[in-house]
Amino acid sequence: MTVQPAMPMSWRRETKPHKFCPGCGHGLVLKVLGQAVDELNIQDKMVFGCDIGCSLLAWDFFNVDSIQTHHGRTTPVITGMKRANPNLIGVAYMGDGGGYAIGSQHLVSAATRNEKITVILVNNTQYGMTGGQMAPTTLPGQKTETSPYGRDVSKTGNPTLGPEMVNAITGEGAYVARGTVSKVNKLKEYIKKALENQINGNGFSFVEVLSACPTNWRTNAEKTWKFLEEEMAEYFKVGEFKVPGSREEEGQSNG
Amino acid sequence: MTEKPVQEEKRVFMTGNEVCAWAAAAAQAEIMYGYPITPQNEIMHYWTRLAPKYNRDFLQTEDELSAGFTTAGGIMAGKRAFTATSGPGNILMQEPFSMAEAMRLPTVAIIQQRGGPSTATVIYSQQEVTMTSLGGNGEGLRIVYSTATHQELFDYTIKAFNTAWKYRFPTFVLADGYQAKMRESLKMYDPEAKGIKMVSTEPYVGKEGVPGVDRDPGHFRNTYNVEEELYEVLEQYIEDYDKMAPEVAEYEEIGSQDADVVVISHGVVSRAAKGAVQELQKQGYKVGYFRPITIRPLPVNEIRDIANSAKKVMVVESANGQLDRLIKEKVYGCNAEMIPFFKPGVGITTEEVESRLKELF
Amino acid sequence: MEVIIDIGDRIVEAYIGEYASGKSEVAVNRAIDLLHEGHPEISLVDLDIVEPCYTLRPIKKNLQGMGLNVLAWDTADTIGLGETGNILRAENKWALKREGDIILDIGYGVEGAKTLNLLEGAEEDDNLQLFVVLNIARPMTSSVNDIVNYVRELKKVDGLINNTHLGDDTYIDIIQDGARIVSEAAEHLGIPVVATTVVKELAQSIGPYDCCGNVVRSVTRYMPESFW
Repeated sequence: MTVQPAMPMSWRRETKPHKFCPGCGHGLVLKVLGQAVDELNIQDKMVFGCDIGCSLLAWDFFNVDSIQTHHGRTTPVITGMKRANPNLIGVAYMGDGGGYAIGSQHLVSAATRNEKITVILVNNTQYGMTGGQMAPTTLPGQKTETSPYGRDVSKTGNPTLGPEMVNAITGEGAYVARGTVSKVNKLKEYIKKALENQINGNGFSFVEVLSACPTNWRTNAEKTWKFLEEEMAEYFKVGEFKVPGSREEEGQSNG
Repeated sequence: MTEKPVQEEKRVFMTGNEVCAWAAAAAQAEIMYGYPITPQNEIMHYWTRLAPKYNRDFLQTEDELSAGFTTAGGIMAGKRAFTATSGPGNILMQEPFSMAEAMRLPTVAIIQQRGGPSTATVIYSQQEVTMTSLGGNGEGLRIVYSTATHQELFDYTIKAFNTAWKYRFPTFVLADGYQAKMRESLKMYDPEAKGIKMVSTEPYVGKEGVPGVDRDPGHFRNTYNVEEELYEVLEQYIEDYDKMAPEVAEYEEIGSQDADVVVISHGVVSRAAKGAVQELQKQGYKVGYFRPITIRPLPVNEIRDIANSAKKVMVVESANGQLDRLIKEKVYGCNAEMIPFFKPGVGITTEEVESRLKELF
Repeated sequence: MEVIIDIGDRIVEAYIGEYASGKSEVAVNRAIDLLHEGHPEISLVDLDIVEPCYTLRPIKKNLQGMGLNVLAWDTADTIGLGETGNILRAENKWALKREGDIILDIGYGVEGAKTLNLLEGAEEDDNLQLFVVLNIARPMTSSVNDIVNYVRELKKVDGLINNTHLGDDTYIDIIQDGARIVSEAAEHLGIPVVATTVVKELAQSIGPYDCCGNVVRSVTRYMPESFW
């Protein structure tokens, strides 16, 4: 007899164990997302759109209707769906490349229009699926396959500050936060609030999640955590940036 | 219930773009997603004028990638959704259309061709035949109606929704800047009053019940792990497409079965070809006219019959052989000599076709 | 120093209407009629900035040959029409400062008559009259109600023109239907019907007045030539 670990109700057991690398942050993000879905009782209404990249491995993760889209195009697919049927709860799940590089115009425009969808963007500082290339979020000096001598900001610019940007361009009613897989309780709170924001019809909701990619970082558990909690969190401030109906908290750290 | 946009059948006078907007409204299209590009803008202008009156929706997106992908999203939500574009916008939409092909999404797109390559002219062309029929990184599993009159723009825009939702392949109404902007009269009608039943739509996502409890979740994919998996899917798609082809293929012809020379053309150019053929027939020339209305899939048997019975087949188009290549693929091994008459990006008159035809006798 | 030119009483007419209602055709014919009536100086001004594709440009030379001043772009002067912006030709903005009669062809668009704001001196010009061109074969102006609502949205309108037709498929009954509907709308709006415009081939059969007593203006179709 096998003993299964506790899983959110909305997870699809048939597709577990999942296919992410050991130590990957996606599993944690999807766990708190699953818990939020359970608690909000939206399994029948949620539509989960997956971008190309490692995010795609989540396509059959839940017992919810799910759509594989194209790289960068999850935001418009979910936008189109939500516009056509506002009763659905649309979640666009993507990585930093999908959201901040190839799909940045869609993120910016959906945020500007205050589309009533939820975007969850997993930031692991590089392109995981294609083998560890530089991403918009790669930290200064960080080595990747396409920045083999370390990211040179004089040539490639500074890492994208997504929630800060989304905060600047969204209007009243939006919810914007940055969480981290190293603080899952807080992350769950953010994701739940983001979904609630959509359920309440307030506006756009956006959660960037600092996540770990030990495979491409080539780090052991200790160094993975150190990079996530120290280097990433130093550059990418964790906290809520915009909460409807209350005072904005600018990048308040939960450290 | 909101009243119907078109009630009794009536003759009206409009531009082609307006016709498309009214036809979509008459076909009970529920939402349009679009991005401005000439010469299709007035489809959006008129759709946005009509939409609120009949409880329909519109989203102006940030680009054509988004217009195509939001259309895909709208369709997955189960709505009769459509978009419209042209030239460089059509290039960008090849990405969402390839997803639609992969996931059998009944997207409907109206393409008003303009000159190319690149930005070129906004005026007129027939240079989007290859892209509309075969674009994307796939097998061209699409349906393309090429219209020649405003009446056809109305009829085939309605039909496009039905073909798309019946067979679940991306479906296109291919016209051009001339048709978009020119004015002529047509009869507008409510399709249901004419006995044309609109094929019902169906959501892909958000069906009744809790996924995993009352039903399986809808997990929609366009990505596969191994070649064999993709091959199996494509084999089924291609089988479906081939089975569908003779059911949807349409054409128009005049005396093409017993002519020495047959002109093949499509879209607005066929108006010139038809005029030339009718004039020459009056003068006693054994000349015929054939026009595929579906340029994909083509009416293959009819085209092969002509290419076997006629001595010469002249393909006339405002492109450098884009239709010609599609035709030649189908007439391989037939007897007729193939004569090109290509004017890429430029209109072709009846007189030009007539004089070129006379040279062939 | 401002130069004030006293141009006195003259004909200044702006033709406005829904997309494809026939504004340009009516305007061109009006200008040519004035020419034939012996008016010495007539300027035909293209102010269509929403639909840059179907305007006076292609027939410009032809009209100039007849003796009209035509203020419109030459197609070859502009690049990427509809792509690089609908450019207002500077000379056209000052059209009202010209001597003689002025016939203005105003484009369609949600802002309708606001295009006149682009015309220097439009507000002060007492001679300026604004006529709305209507074709009941166009679904958005097919009923009395539609027309009344449409015209009320425009700023100040001095008269209506019944330009009902079906292109090559026009027949007399539909023109007369147009006359009835446009006349009824005009009555509601408290403004006159200036004319019913009819292609010359059919104008003779109708006679000098339509069934509602409106003047019939015979027109020649120039615009089909003007397509690109």
